[in-house]
Amino acid sequence: MSEDKQVQEVMARLAILEPTEAEAPRPARLAFARLQAELAPPERPNWLARLGQQLLAPQRRLATAVSLAVVLLVVSFSFPAVRAAASDFLGLFRVEKFAAIEITPEQMAILRQAAEQDIMPGELEVDKEPGLLTPVDSLSKAATVTGLTAVYTIPALGQPDEIFVASGGNGHFTINEANTRRLLEAANLDPNLLPDGLDGARIAVATYSGVEQRWADGTTLLQTNSPEVAYPENLDPALMGEALLQILGLSPLEAQRLASQIDWTSTLLLPIPSNIATYEEMTVNGSSAIGLTSLDNRIHMLIWQENGRLYLLAGAQSTAELAALANDMQ
Amino acid sequence: MTSLTDNLLLEQMGQGDVASFEAIFHQHYDRVYGLLFRLLGNRAEAEDVTQEVFLKLHDYAFNRRFFQRNREHNLGAWLYRTATNAGYNAIRGRQRRWQRNTLLVPDPQGLPGADKEVEQRERETAVRQTLAQLPERDTQLLLMRQMGFSYAECAEAVGVAPSSVGTLLARAAAAFKQAYEEVNGER
Repeated sequence: MSEDKQVQEVMARLAILEPTEAEAPRPARLAFARLQAELAPPERPNWLARLGQQLLAPQRRLATAVSLAVVLLVVSFSFPAVRAAASDFLGLFRVEKFAAIEITPEQMAILRQAAEQDIMPGELEVDKEPGLLTPVDSLSKAATVTGLTAVYTIPALGQPDEIFVASGGNGHFTINEANTRRLLEAANLDPNLLPDGLDGARIAVATYSGVEQRWADGTTLLQTNSPEVAYPENLDPALMGEALLQILGLSPLEAQRLASQIDWTSTLLLPIPSNIATYEEMTVNGSSAIGLTSLDNRIHMLIWQENGRLYLLAGAQSTAELAALANDMQ
Repeated sequence: MTSLTDNLLLEQMGQGDVASFEAIFHQHYDRVYGLLFRLLGNRAEAEDVTQEVFLKLHDYAFNRRFFQRNREHNLGAWLYRTATNAGYNAIRGRQRRWQRNTLLVPDPQGLPGADKEVEQRERETAVRQTLAQLPERDTQLLLMRQMGFSYAECAEAVGVAPSSVGTLLARAAAAFKQAYEEVNGER
């Protein structure tokens, strides 16, 4: 199409406004870095606070939930009393129960300080990234894609407005003993809390495909087969748990008492920052569950495991109402 | 302008995928900046307003408002319309400091074109002052076309049928020419 002469004249006139070389934009990657800085929260919380925020974020994602489970598990097993060779993977942890523990803002501040020193207790390598959420048009399609024998839903809420699937991932965590001790020291704990022989111990983590359903009122249901953690054979999970409890702020005596009551080969510990949420122990279909409520009482969440499957139900309803919905899942 | 890739990235962004946001940013950054620079004539200000546009996209898409309000997922149209609006808002901000007839004159603070000839700067000023006399849609259309956007892309961005773009451009050009003569007559 030939443009009218007047338009062409105006285009020529406007050409004078084109940026010169000196006025060209900075490279997009620099501009994006600047944008990211703007988007970043003013204060970078430590991993516990970040996990807490993710747990209670209004826009939850299956991938986030699964990643969260992985991180929690990895952290849980970051301090084992092991003397095993790195290739020994005889123990197996599978989430069956949950235990919540309150972590105070003061203890979070201590851990934040430690985290700011960039002392990593080891290296996490992702061998297979969990997949992105992909929309599917039916629950049966979701079951086919994920390989779950049946995808449960909540009939009382009607058909979900959106259904997504995501594939699982796997990775491994290799412990750095010296850094782990430095981290304990930075958190004002006894670096000898853990025995020798940790260095190079490898913990493997696997997560599985899952399904996320969302309803118009904001209610979200996630389900996935329970993640698994394989760890060196002579790991003493109770000793590891005891150390973890101390890191979360319990006194040595309290940590020892509580650690002895928990089955560390099947219990996932959820640290709940007390300035973000409260928690309560609940029951769903006879299984133990943890109910979480944000301090502003706007977000509620229920986490439980049943027949090898991990569920997370969140919404604006109270935890009791969520439990009632969960009991009616089909 | 809104390609299949854009739609896919936008969908993924709506699901919280940060990498998709980054991809959209890299895909559109230069052109959004180009439009705003032509409008504002100041590199720092154009960069700031470009950032503002992408922050708005981030907020809209991650909070799913984009999808509620833009069922057609017309990312390109949204971006360039928002950029034009944000550019005009920046110009209106100048209005508090400047007289109306200098609305589209670059803010002298931080002007990058110090090395430019005075005469060239005066010509740019005259063009920007002229654009300031036109309705926002005419300015957007003229600038996008000058930047090399196709008729279809221009049509999508201003929300008209592609067959109307030629006529609208001709009208905008006529309005520009008349206003340009008036601006120069006053000078």
